[in-house]
Amino acid sequence: MKSNISFILDNRVVYIDFEQERKLTPTTTVLNYLRQLPNHKGVKEGCAEGDCGACTVVIGELENNRIRYRAVDSCLIFLPMLDGKLLVTVENLKSPEGKLHPVQEAMIEQFGSQCGFCTPGIIMSMFDLYKNYVCPSRSEIEDVLSGNLCRCTGYRPIVDAALKACSYWGYDHFTEEEGKLVELLKSINKESLIIKTQLQTYFKPSSLSEALEFRNKHPNSIILCGATDVALKVTKAHELLQEIIDLSAIEELKFIEENIHEIKIGAGVVINDVRKKIIKDFPALYEMLNVFASNQIRNFATLGGNLGTASPIGDSLPVLMAYEASVELQSIEGRRVVPLNEYFVGYRKTLRKDNELITKIIIPKQNNGAVIKSYKVSKRKDLDISTLSAGFKLESRNNIVQNIILAYGGMAERPKRASETEKFLRGKSWTREVVEKAMDILQQDFTPISDVRGSAEFRRIAARNLILKFWNDTKLVD
Amino acid sequence: MKQYIYHESGELHVTGEAIYVDDIPVHDQLLIGKVVYSPYAHAKIKSFDLSEAKKVAGVHAVLSYKDIPGHNQMGPVVKDEPCLAENEVNYVGQAVFLIAADTIEQCYEAEKKIKVEYEPLEAILDIETAIAKNSLLGPPRNITRGDVEAGLKNSKNVIKGELRTGAQEHWYLETQVCLCIPGEGNEMKVYSSTQHPSETQTIIAEVLGIKRNEVTVEVRRLGGGFGGKETQANHTACWTALLAWATKRPVKIRLFRDDDMIMTGKRHRFLIRYEAGFDDDGTIQAVRFELNSDGGSATDLSFAILERAMLHTDNAYYIPNFSVTGMVWKTNLPSNTAMRGFGGPQGMAAIETVVDRIARYLKKDPADIRFKNFYGIEERNITHYEEKVENNRLHLIYNQILESSEYKRRRKEIAEFNSQNEFFKKGIALTPVKFGISFTTTFLNQAGALVNVYTDGTVLVNHGGIDMGQGLNTKIQQIAAAEFGISPDKVKVNATDTSKVPNTSATAASTGTDLNGMAVKNAIDIIKTRMSEEISKLFTEKNPDKPTKASSVVFENDEIYDSESPDRRISFVEATRVMNLRQVSLSSTGFYRTPTIGWDKSKGKGKPFFYYSFGMAVSEVILDILTGAHKILRTDIIQDVGDSVNPGIDLGQIEGGFVQGLGWVTTEEIKWDEKGNLLTHSPDTYKIPVVSDIPKDFRVKMLENVPNLVGTIRKSKAIGEPPFMLALSVWLAIKDAIASFANNEIEPDFSLPATNEVILLAVEKLKKKMTTPKILVKE
Repeated sequence: MKSNISFILDNRVVYIDFEQERKLTPTTTVLNYLRQLPNHKGVKEGCAEGDCGACTVVIGELENNRIRYRAVDSCLIFLPMLDGKLLVTVENLKSPEGKLHPVQEAMIEQFGSQCGFCTPGIIMSMFDLYKNYVCPSRSEIEDVLSGNLCRCTGYRPIVDAALKACSYWGYDHFTEEEGKLVELLKSINKESLIIKTQLQTYFKPSSLSEALEFRNKHPNSIILCGATDVALKVTKAHELLQEIIDLSAIEELKFIEENIHEIKIGAGVVINDVRKKIIKDFPALYEMLNVFASNQIRNFATLGGNLGTASPIGDSLPVLMAYEASVELQSIEGRRVVPLNEYFVGYRKTLRKDNELITKIIIPKQNNGAVIKSYKVSKRKDLDISTLSAGFKLESRNNIVQNIILAYGGMAERPKRASETEKFLRGKSWTREVVEKAMDILQQDFTPISDVRGSAEFRRIAARNLILKFWNDTKLVD
Repeated sequence: MKQYIYHESGELHVTGEAIYVDDIPVHDQLLIGKVVYSPYAHAKIKSFDLSEAKKVAGVHAVLSYKDIPGHNQMGPVVKDEPCLAENEVNYVGQAVFLIAADTIEQCYEAEKKIKVEYEPLEAILDIETAIAKNSLLGPPRNITRGDVEAGLKNSKNVIKGELRTGAQEHWYLETQVCLCIPGEGNEMKVYSSTQHPSETQTIIAEVLGIKRNEVTVEVRRLGGGFGGKETQANHTACWTALLAWATKRPVKIRLFRDDDMIMTGKRHRFLIRYEAGFDDDGTIQAVRFELNSDGGSATDLSFAILERAMLHTDNAYYIPNFSVTGMVWKTNLPSNTAMRGFGGPQGMAAIETVVDRIARYLKKDPADIRFKNFYGIEERNITHYEEKVENNRLHLIYNQILESSEYKRRRKEIAEFNSQNEFFKKGIALTPVKFGISFTTTFLNQAGALVNVYTDGTVLVNHGGIDMGQGLNTKIQQIAAAEFGISPDKVKVNATDTSKVPNTSATAASTGTDLNGMAVKNAIDIIKTRMSEEISKLFTEKNPDKPTKASSVVFENDEIYDSESPDRRISFVEATRVMNLRQVSLSSTGFYRTPTIGWDKSKGKGKPFFYYSFGMAVSEVILDILTGAHKILRTDIIQDVGDSVNPGIDLGQIEGGFVQGLGWVTTEEIKWDEKGNLLTHSPDTYKIPVVSDIPKDFRVKMLENVPNLVGTIRKSKAIGEPPFMLALSVWLAIKDAIASFANNEIEPDFSLPATNEVILLAVEKLKKKMTTPKILVKE
């Protein structure tokens, strides 16, 4: 067990002992850490909530002896999350000889910067793109850049810069220095971390059993993995988080197992990695995860986190309910599996007991004939919290509904199925006439509220329409 | 001139080395400032107690209005904005107290210990309530031409209606920020992210009760402005200066995003009422507009904005009988302020709605109705405020874009698509922009410059304009290089500084290059005249038999030569050294004022604009009728920029302005609760466009071979604001798609922005109207 952190910045190991530090705490964000250094002012605060990308940095991690680079909003991660990793900022992109990085050159040539304030963040997202894609398509570029707001350019020159720059198979001075960086990363001790300061305890275990032990003793500790949600308590609400348990170093939570019946996804797998594994068998989940927040957030947020937060508008939840997924909970006493349909019990309340942690999500593969679709209604397509969302499943035989699941988010205090409407539809013909009647029944299931994202009337109409849309997407073509 | 040079700060931007106010290195005496603001939309301050807050460790000052040494005022035009509230607060977010401490955490701590007793009062939170209570910020304005009553009466067809346009947050990436460093005596050095350093200087001097020559404001660059830092950067600057004054230490205030959104004004929302009469062929005979603008709690620039709105309710159309009345209503919200377009967008949304409705009423293509009503070249070319529309390029652009966008063919295809698809509808719209260039407050059309040439042949240009990302300094660099005949890398544009160029106007109204470019040219002309005279002497000394005339001295390719005897030449670098040896000044100020304009505000007549900028856009969208989601399939733009100083920069302004307009007309929605609290106070709930929101197919062109003929710098045209309003093409394409749901027979309920909610509810209403017996389009 160690009590201080080490990470690589500017080609050397930085060591932070929080007991000795006056200015830094375990919940200092990487953004605020960088901004107080003399030579890392390129990183900017635009919103302090992960919605603008001006603070984007890239984090490098060892994976099979190579370094994997991922962009992240530095306002959403705490310093201890850097332990054992490589931190790359915009200041590091020039080569040691002072030559601009290809993404920097392309941005200048395309007039990709105007006021320049968002530019360092965009450069870093583009660096992620550069290292992970070869000749990316326009939609891949949009996928990676959707977490970066620019108010000046209208984005076209930025997309063109990305198209132009990302054609060197990721080759740059980081490639040349990779061996050295890998050695540096390996030199950092990987044991569990516990930081205790006067006001805070930050525990980052490397095994699940340690995590469960700690959780049992500290049932009120804040659980985080990607911190993309928890960080807001610090950056926006200025809360002091006294006890934190960070699950991001537990390798046991980072697996994906698949057999012919189901897929099991460890609670610590980040959304972007989940996405890659589910394209074929879970297209509706894939679609939803494509519009889940932004690349920077998907690089750190986890399905476990989305289920742990249990927000009534959590993007992945209704579609997981449509897949009849379940969640595995574990404590020192043992483990149990709970179907998602029963898991959510109230506003951000679930069946998870205080001493339990979410360990995996189990999603059954569908029989032939079942169709599952996901829908998200939001003001903006990308990087927007849904006004309402839905996951629907239909099993029919000879156009007669055998089984149907209509799960909604944003329509109640928790993700919830439209049970009356489902009951009405079971056994009936899957025809427009029937569907239009079902749309009227839906009002028995939900009494939506008006809020900043949309009026109750809007939610009511859109929720009805989604059933019609589902019918239109699944109807028999004659 | 070398047109294709990159943004002068490009390399600094992409490496993160560009310095914004928050990045300026300051020694460790720096204190962090925080503004404590009103939680009420309207309330009396009955009492307050700061004593506990002052005791918090690390806190160096907690100030109220009582601690202001000068005037407690920061209104830019009308003195109706206290710097810190005295007995009353008038909006949620109004500054009441200031704190300076070693750390921001100590500021939070102190804030919690401030005791204030408020007595809430009734608040006016929307235009309707303000109208009902006759809560005006100033007298109504009117501009009339012809006889509107008679015009309406004599028209075969008349439509009437109401339109609402929403507020818009600037969402500059860099929030309001200021760093103040007290000097000796009364000196105050101010680093502010302001579009108007001279006004920031003036108001700080007034608030501190010192002289203007004791305050220096320096601005290197802005992380975006868009009008939001034209007057309201002054606020943060004043607060910072007060804390620096009180503590005698450097102080910095940087507003957090949520606080910035809560405390600062937005684009004015408008409630517009209209009545229009027209012939069967679509010729407009008479229009009456009533523009109701939500000014917020104070005047700010609301009347200038209203005026520009009134001057753009004609947009590109000749309307023989025309009346536009404008009112600014006082509400309990932050004072609304300048934003790109400055009233123009609201005015144009009004007339474009009228034209769009006329077309639907007559079952004609709106593009044809637009063309029919365009200002003429030789006749029908006088605006309602009696300015003649000269060098009209509307017809030229219309013909080009109709062809390049294949508008007519696509309109047919869209009709076909719509007849075959129940749940997806497409729409298309062509909209023009005619935008007047100049401050309508005529005296503001002036600029100054200070140009220094050094004896290594380099040039340092100071001017009064601000580079907020629009590329002004890049253009200035090019202009200076071209005038001196040297390469741009020999020219550096300095940070804007009130001690170098005094008494400047804001960088606003798209005039940055027009005004400052000319002032810089004037300074350079003065230096060149001096140099030419001395060089003609120099050349003549060597060739006394055939003297070189000063008038034949040419500056070109880093050299200076006699055009009549081209073998007589000297390098520019050498010449600067020679000038110094021969005691010739290599430094000069420059000045410019826009000629020929003049505007009588009281009569509403005159020539407010030096010239017009023209542009046109065609946009096509597809709607998901069941969710209200939209996608922009294609946008074509042709914009008149005169002779472009820098096509890369101008293209960026066109695309960027359009996309910002796109946000205003689609996803950017400002909402307050019933107590006047801003609900959309962060990017979590306020949605500006992201990369995936721009048109899938985006074709932008600049009109070619059309120099500006009125005598602007390098025959160029202003470009900052006009493209913003091209986004109305997207808004009306969405309306076109909605209307197709009812076969274009029923006028949809529509407002701006067209959010997914507005779209879905409009469709829902059409459904209801379609099932009831036939309703005529005419209301």
